[in-house]
Amino acid sequence: MNRRRRNRRMRQLGWNVLGLAVFVVMVFPVYWMIATAFKTNDDIVSLTPSWIPLNPTLQHFRDAINKPFFWRDVLNSLIVVSVTVGISIVIAFMAAIALARYRFSLREVFVVLVIGIQMLPQAGLIIPLYVVLARYHQVNALSGLIITYMTFVLPFCVWTLRGFLIGIPKDLEEAAMVDGSTRLGVFVKILLPLMGPGLVATSVFAFITTWNEYIFARVLLNDQAKQTVTVWLSYFLGTSRNTDWGALMAASTLTAIPVVLFFIAVQRRIAFGLTAGAVRG
Amino acid sequence: MRGTSTTAAAAETTLHRSRRQRRFWNRSGRLAVPYLLVVPVVVVIGLVLGYPLYWLARLSTQKYGLFELIQHHGTSVGFANYSSVLHDQIFWHTLLRTVIFTVANVALTMVLGLLIALLLVRVSTVVRLLLSSGLVLVWSMPVVVAVQIFYWMTNFQNGVVNYVLTELHIGNYDQHDWYATTFSQLSLVTVLIVWGAIPFVAITLFAGLAQVPHDLVEAAEVDGARPWAIFRDITIPVIRPILLILTSLSIIWDFGVFTQPYLLIGQAKITPGNYLMSIYLFEEGYFKTDFGRGAAISILMLLIVAVLSVVYVRRMVRIGTAQ
Amino acid sequence: MKRRIIVALGLVAVLAVALAAATSAATKKTAANSITVWLQTDAQSGWPDVVAAANQQFQSAHPGWTVNIQYQSWTDHLQKFDATLAGGGGPDVIEMGNTETTKYMASGAFAPLDKTQFDNYANWLPGLAASGRYGGKTYAVPYYAGSRVVTYRKDLFAKAGIKKLPATTAQYMADAQKLLAKNKQKGFSPVYIAGEDWYVAMGFVFDYGGGIATEVSGKWKGLLASPQSIAGLTAFKNFFLAASRASKTTIETNPNPYNVYAEGLAASMVGPSWFTCCVGKKYTASTAQFVMPGHIAGKTMPGFLGGSDLAVPVTSSNKALATEWIKDFTDTASEKALQAKGNIPNATNLLGNSVNERAAARSWFVPTAKHWVDVENGNILRNMLGQILTGKLTVKQAAQSASDNVASVLNQP
Repeated sequence: MNRRRRNRRMRQLGWNVLGLAVFVVMVFPVYWMIATAFKTNDDIVSLTPSWIPLNPTLQHFRDAINKPFFWRDVLNSLIVVSVTVGISIVIAFMAAIALARYRFSLREVFVVLVIGIQMLPQAGLIIPLYVVLARYHQVNALSGLIITYMTFVLPFCVWTLRGFLIGIPKDLEEAAMVDGSTRLGVFVKILLPLMGPGLVATSVFAFITTWNEYIFARVLLNDQAKQTVTVWLSYFLGTSRNTDWGALMAASTLTAIPVVLFFIAVQRRIAFGLTAGAVRG
Repeated sequence: MRGTSTTAAAAETTLHRSRRQRRFWNRSGRLAVPYLLVVPVVVVIGLVLGYPLYWLARLSTQKYGLFELIQHHGTSVGFANYSSVLHDQIFWHTLLRTVIFTVANVALTMVLGLLIALLLVRVSTVVRLLLSSGLVLVWSMPVVVAVQIFYWMTNFQNGVVNYVLTELHIGNYDQHDWYATTFSQLSLVTVLIVWGAIPFVAITLFAGLAQVPHDLVEAAEVDGARPWAIFRDITIPVIRPILLILTSLSIIWDFGVFTQPYLLIGQAKITPGNYLMSIYLFEEGYFKTDFGRGAAISILMLLIVAVLSVVYVRRMVRIGTAQ
Repeated sequence: MKRRIIVALGLVAVLAVALAAATSAATKKTAANSITVWLQTDAQSGWPDVVAAANQQFQSAHPGWTVNIQYQSWTDHLQKFDATLAGGGGPDVIEMGNTETTKYMASGAFAPLDKTQFDNYANWLPGLAASGRYGGKTYAVPYYAGSRVVTYRKDLFAKAGIKKLPATTAQYMADAQKLLAKNKQKGFSPVYIAGEDWYVAMGFVFDYGGGIATEVSGKWKGLLASPQSIAGLTAFKNFFLAASRASKTTIETNPNPYNVYAEGLAASMVGPSWFTCCVGKKYTASTAQFVMPGHIAGKTMPGFLGGSDLAVPVTSSNKALATEWIKDFTDTASEKALQAKGNIPNATNLLGNSVNERAAARSWFVPTAKHWVDVENGNILRNMLGQILTGKLTVKQAAQSASDNVASVLNQP
């Protein structure tokens, strides 16, 4: 008995060490970005790489925050992303249920539509999309950007949520119906909790994709007061002179924070299935 | 062996239940429900992309450069654009190169992503939080910044990679130029893309693994089933839909990837010898402002990707219909 | 359970309100009387006061009108511009790089302008003026320019015993040997020039009387294989091998010369005059500039005249006012203000005596051909230099092949 417990603990330790090793390797470039944000300009371009900023400075962060429209553009990004993700997840979930649980005659057509959209090279769509949106005064408007993002995010969300739904055995719902629950009750009490991990993973993806999107935001938004934070970032790189790398790294670090915060807030839901024991057979 | 009989029994019960389920979900009267559920998505996509798609198709049959753009009017040339692209040697070489590139990227991404997802299941809560947050940090780095960091790390003059490799006496990598040959250029791009794609695959698979019936796995372990058998018979069937989705999506994305190779190799070093399809599209279509040709290449790319991913997509659709 | 539904509905309601707010904020019409100007971010970070002054001048002359400046990036401003040409909503004034204009002029993207309206039009710098003219009409107004100079370490030059700044390239090569003798670090360049820095290489070509291409009765003819051009390329090759330890196949932004300089690995470098911004704290005090000498004493090497022009897109609905704004932004006072910030003003009668401006006295420019941009994007000249320096091809072979290539690209319909 003791030996088995010790073996299990050794194995757990082994996994943990491996997990930490993977963490270090994957996160190293991110660490480099954050460390650079604190280095002085001379350290950044020096020939011998310095692992830790020897003379850390907050100047780059100050320069980043003081660059015009930072807070305004962060707010714009937050609005665009939350509305896009919020609405997209809801209607994508609805469509995923239709695809995964129902049989209807135009089902194949819908699937082809969803996959096909993903396959379009986006570069080709920039100009025609601009022409369409301009006709309806949706250029230089957050709503125009939101509806554009939704178009690109929806196919993926529908497709992925369908995958998660298929993984849930239907007999659970059947059993609940037999027990006398209403269809809506089945949905809320059985399906929704089990879809927790899938919904969260999909919304994290949608969040990150829309947060980091650049080219459509660039082309569709003109006023600096309306732009998103990725466009704001591009101003560090757009001049014909030298680039302020320290400030760019500081700015990127700042713009990554909301995403990580969002993830930490929702990540518990992903592991929910593991700890609670998903399916009682 | 008792281990296998448990899994087989589970599979058998599922089969019996499928008949009952079909009755449940197709309970009459609500034939309109699936259509109602699907309408919002169709409306959004149709409203936004309907005209652009039509425009793109029409454009591919026209001679449409900057002059025509300003005039809002092109001259029809039938399939001349398609013909010129399909007769272009560079197109075919680029296609082959991109297919190989896609296969390598997708394989690496899926294998490493799955391994990390399995790892996430097994580590303790603290390490899991750390690792998953780290993955999200990676995922949320703007591509432009990630490219710049990678470039610094692999810079032949003062890059960390050269420094570490030389210090560890793996070889003399002092001043080694990682961007000298097409193969090493594209390999670096692969590392960058796989690194950036792993978080998404790992976290989505991790969410999928959370749906694996915990007690079934425990029962099988108690019965002495080996880990590989458990993985093959219990885990894979549950995550197969997600694996297929991720693979098909990865194929689609990696085939059309643009920003990473374009920025990492740098515009000055992009030549027809190291074109990828999306770069070919950009250079031949948009840089040269030959929009007609660009549209033709876009549609060809769409068709090619459709062909490449049809196997996975059909399997995905079939899984859904079987139940 | 009911609570959860209420919460969900509440969330949807909040989202709907947010969307409505976003929409209403967007559809608020921009002031009916405003012109939109697209300038590059260089102006926002470099001379915002000059912009503000021009706006002030415009607004006081046209009460009730405002100027909406939107800053763009060099990397994608043309993509944006193309979209607006197709769908409307474009600017009334746009800043274009002087190598970007010809394609757009040839496609009818800009409205013709009456050049006599602008200050100092008779003395516009030839390099910039040429980039604004097409088919005999003026479509773009010169804005500002920048030339290429040598930035050098006074202390290293003194230590190597160089008493006078070199007056010819031959002298400079000899000085490079002196510098090498006193600075034996690995990778140290007396004159840091990237192997594929075509801006510097073409300077040599033009110095020897050669050229890139010329238009002969409507058709472009490549000039890189002419005897003068070959002499220039050979001179460049010899200079590079003698004085630069940079990579033979990397470009001039990769690594940035000023980063190499800041590391103490270059005694001098050839590049734009603003390089002095980034030479590092250690060497700022000992850094100075001089004009790159040509191969004939008394004549400077022709430097590439980079710069920007301002044009009025044909889609603008306020062309007259747009022209007024350009006039205000490029008048003598504004040009002098730009000059004070280290730029080269747009007219020869305004030129001062800074190193940057003296270098502009003898300059070269790219062929004003519709498809020149494609030559640049195709990296034809860069590849030629790489082949020459690595010895893969002889100067004659590489030049001939590049010349034919350039001609075929420029002669596309």
